[in-house]
Amino acid sequence: MKVELYNYIKAAQKMNRRQVLKGSAALGAVAMMPQSAFAGGHGNVRAEILKIPGVGAGSPTDSDWQKVGEMCLGATKGNVDEGEFEGVELTFMGLNNQNLHNFLFRGFLKPWEAYTGAKINWIDLAQGDYNARLQQSIATGTVDFDIIEMGAPFEGDVLGKGLASEMPEWVKEQIDMDDYVDYLKAPVGTWGGKTYRVSIDGDCHTFAYRKDYFGPGSITGRDVPTTWQEINEVSKELIGKEDPLTGLPAHGYLDPLKGWGGFGFYFLENRASAYAKHPNSPAWLFEPDTMKPMVNNPAWVQAIQDVMDLIEAGAYPTDQINADPGTTAFQQFLAGTGSMLTWWGDVGSSARTSDTSVVGDVVGFGVNPASDRVYNAKAGAWEETRNEAPNMAYIGWGVYVMATVEGDEKKKKAAWSAAAHLGGKDLSLWASAYPSGFQPYRNSHFQYDEWEEAGYDREYVEDYLGSNADSYNHPNAAIEPRIPGIFQYYSVAEDELAKGYAGQYGSAQETADAIAAAWEKITDQIGRDSQISVYKASLGM
Amino acid sequence: MNTDGDLLHTVTADNISDARKRLGKTMVWGSALLCASMAVLQAAYQAEHISIGFETWRPILYAYMLWATALCLAQVIVNGEKGKRTLFVLPAALFVVSLVIFPLLFALYISFTDWNLASPNGPQPNGLDNLYQMWNDSFYWNALKNMVYYVLAVSVEYVLAFALALLLNAQIRARKFFRVVFLLPLMLSPVAVSWMIGKSMFEVRFGPVSRLIREFGGEPTFFGNPEIARFMIMAMDAWTFIPFMMIMLLAGLQALPREVIEASKVDGASGWQSFKEIVFPLMLPVSVTAVVIRIIFKLKLADVIINVTSGGPGGATDSVTSFIFREYRDRSNVGYGTLLAMVYLVLIVIFVTLLLKLVSRWMERPA
Repeated sequence: MKVELYNYIKAAQKMNRRQVLKGSAALGAVAMMPQSAFAGGHGNVRAEILKIPGVGAGSPTDSDWQKVGEMCLGATKGNVDEGEFEGVELTFMGLNNQNLHNFLFRGFLKPWEAYTGAKINWIDLAQGDYNARLQQSIATGTVDFDIIEMGAPFEGDVLGKGLASEMPEWVKEQIDMDDYVDYLKAPVGTWGGKTYRVSIDGDCHTFAYRKDYFGPGSITGRDVPTTWQEINEVSKELIGKEDPLTGLPAHGYLDPLKGWGGFGFYFLENRASAYAKHPNSPAWLFEPDTMKPMVNNPAWVQAIQDVMDLIEAGAYPTDQINADPGTTAFQQFLAGTGSMLTWWGDVGSSARTSDTSVVGDVVGFGVNPASDRVYNAKAGAWEETRNEAPNMAYIGWGVYVMATVEGDEKKKKAAWSAAAHLGGKDLSLWASAYPSGFQPYRNSHFQYDEWEEAGYDREYVEDYLGSNADSYNHPNAAIEPRIPGIFQYYSVAEDELAKGYAGQYGSAQETADAIAAAWEKITDQIGRDSQISVYKASLGM
Repeated sequence: MNTDGDLLHTVTADNISDARKRLGKTMVWGSALLCASMAVLQAAYQAEHISIGFETWRPILYAYMLWATALCLAQVIVNGEKGKRTLFVLPAALFVVSLVIFPLLFALYISFTDWNLASPNGPQPNGLDNLYQMWNDSFYWNALKNMVYYVLAVSVEYVLAFALALLLNAQIRARKFFRVVFLLPLMLSPVAVSWMIGKSMFEVRFGPVSRLIREFGGEPTFFGNPEIARFMIMAMDAWTFIPFMMIMLLAGLQALPREVIEASKVDGASGWQSFKEIVFPLMLPVSVTAVVIRIIFKLKLADVIINVTSGGPGGATDSVTSFIFREYRDRSNVGYGTLLAMVYLVLIVIFVTLLLKLVSRWMERPA
């Protein structure tokens, strides 16, 4: 769970007397039980770990992470004998964002180390250093870690080059991979038909809107828009009107017009996926047989044109050309500027907890907007049918074991056991319910009863997490290609888009053509043939 | 005793046998041969011409260090006392070669390859492709054009710095206090300035400056318009570094001979005449140093741009360094990025050489 979400739920928590009594009674009953009564019971473990440290009892600490790690060791004990990995040393590379990620992993794995006898050394990296460190390790052949926390977009760089170890069958059973939400199942986490990834997170963009802008009597007088066409109409209609909360000028949808180290491109994708991701093909960024960019086909050009139309109409706030995605979410939307946004989970959870947020009571969520028409790239023609294609931006974090452990069976089993422990079904429930940096990603995480039983506000959980669940399991979800250098493509696209938005290209088509030309160069530089095969593999083709 | 050569600085007499000289030369040439042959073999192994080789280049580094040590030892073995004197300089020279010359040559090689960190094939020489790409890269030329604007801004900074230095050199109240206060911006990291000023004070919605402008009925825009955005970057950079020029000029002013200035006053020169005919000419050497150092600082301008505008809008504020940063860090495009950096280095060397030449001619002094 994202920190902000946890803080929000804590702040917005409306525990009534009945819930408090229920919680106390359960705690009392558990305290009277003999240890053996719940140690083996799977369901009890889930309920018990959700009480550590308890909703509203402050942020979890290292001792809490260790307790959770200890209580979730059952699955490990089924596959590993006590002290089996004595003398094994593993190196784990991961992030230290917000004092989460590796900090949690240390706590979770401490009881695992004590039980198995293995020792783990840690490499902590800031998010900004992560890509450069990983790329340099790969390029210079200095992979000095055995386990890595890694986002799926890098799978092309790592799995495509044979640097990871294939997941053994026993791990698949231990972590119950069938429980993953649909889009995290193969081909994500797989390469050439082999499985490599233990998922510990899920990512997608969802639609956030201001409820006070929509409905009868509101300043738009409209229902909440569900298509990009409606969004552009509403955004133009709002020009010159006044925001009901702040009294400042009202605005519609907030497109970030400035780059964000490649991540800004996800936001054009949000618009483009509805136009470009036809249900008849998983490909929507490149043509799989040639790696010819699709970014300058009519669907993408329409998405760019939509943004340019709003710039031309003056529908954005002042200085939007210098607004990156962080600005649109945290300095604009949450602060009462603009009424519609697409973003990751953080924005919904920050709605009430952020000091500068004024929209907490009026924010609603849904899946990314659809389009009235969709471009069929195979037929080269538009189809006048409604198309919804939520953008699975970044696909979430996973744990991977590197090929450095191959040749040493004991070390390999130890590394996979550690990865499986972190991606265990029960432990992941705790991670999705408390601050961890990770979102829910298993179908079992969406059993709202468990959340309610643990003391969470059901209405909020259903609204917010429901939009995630609907996106994850969408049959036409737009999955990004896990090809080497994917962020290079995004980064150069951001530069070209910025020029287009600043009026340095004659049209949306020219802007899109410039992106396509830059992408062709990158493909040639990395190697077209290898990119084609890796791209097809990443799409499961 | 050897009666040839420099007898003045010779402490002991050296009677070095031929055998000892041969040993020294053998050590040097033997270790050089070992290092060179290992390097050639490793290169052949890496190019897959032969099947035996090392996993990394580290053993070649050890061979190089062996050669360097042998070279140092051989100086004493072959030249005796004279060789010991060489030893005072040789290790430092080898150090410079290892850490400056070699990386420079390596970078030169890299800049003519297509090395993209994501490429499975590693660096492959690609002739002049990177140069052609640079020639057609409007982003790069745009960044270079921006650099011209940024460098020209130094002239305005110089005028302001000189004015401040004169002010702080005058008999004003709380002079020491103001000297410290005016120096404060220089003590701040440009990254901190980017966030505190660029992203907070000038934040278009909440920023106090924006609110003030709204109070007066205006609609603030700081980084949305290309010209204004470029000016804002110049202003933030100037705010940070004007104190640097100011302090140099102030030191120069304090070192001026008082007699000359007083003599000019006795001769009836006005304040302006005294400044124009006496102070400014006498300050020229310090001014030139301050301006040249400031220009060199300016040519490296990147941090403020990366943090505040990322080069936008549409490349209007991009500096060459911030553009290379994106090419390198975000796109892992090592080959092309290195070429851009090398070209920029050559341009800087030419520019600074010409600048110093012009200045020395102007001042009629040898550079």
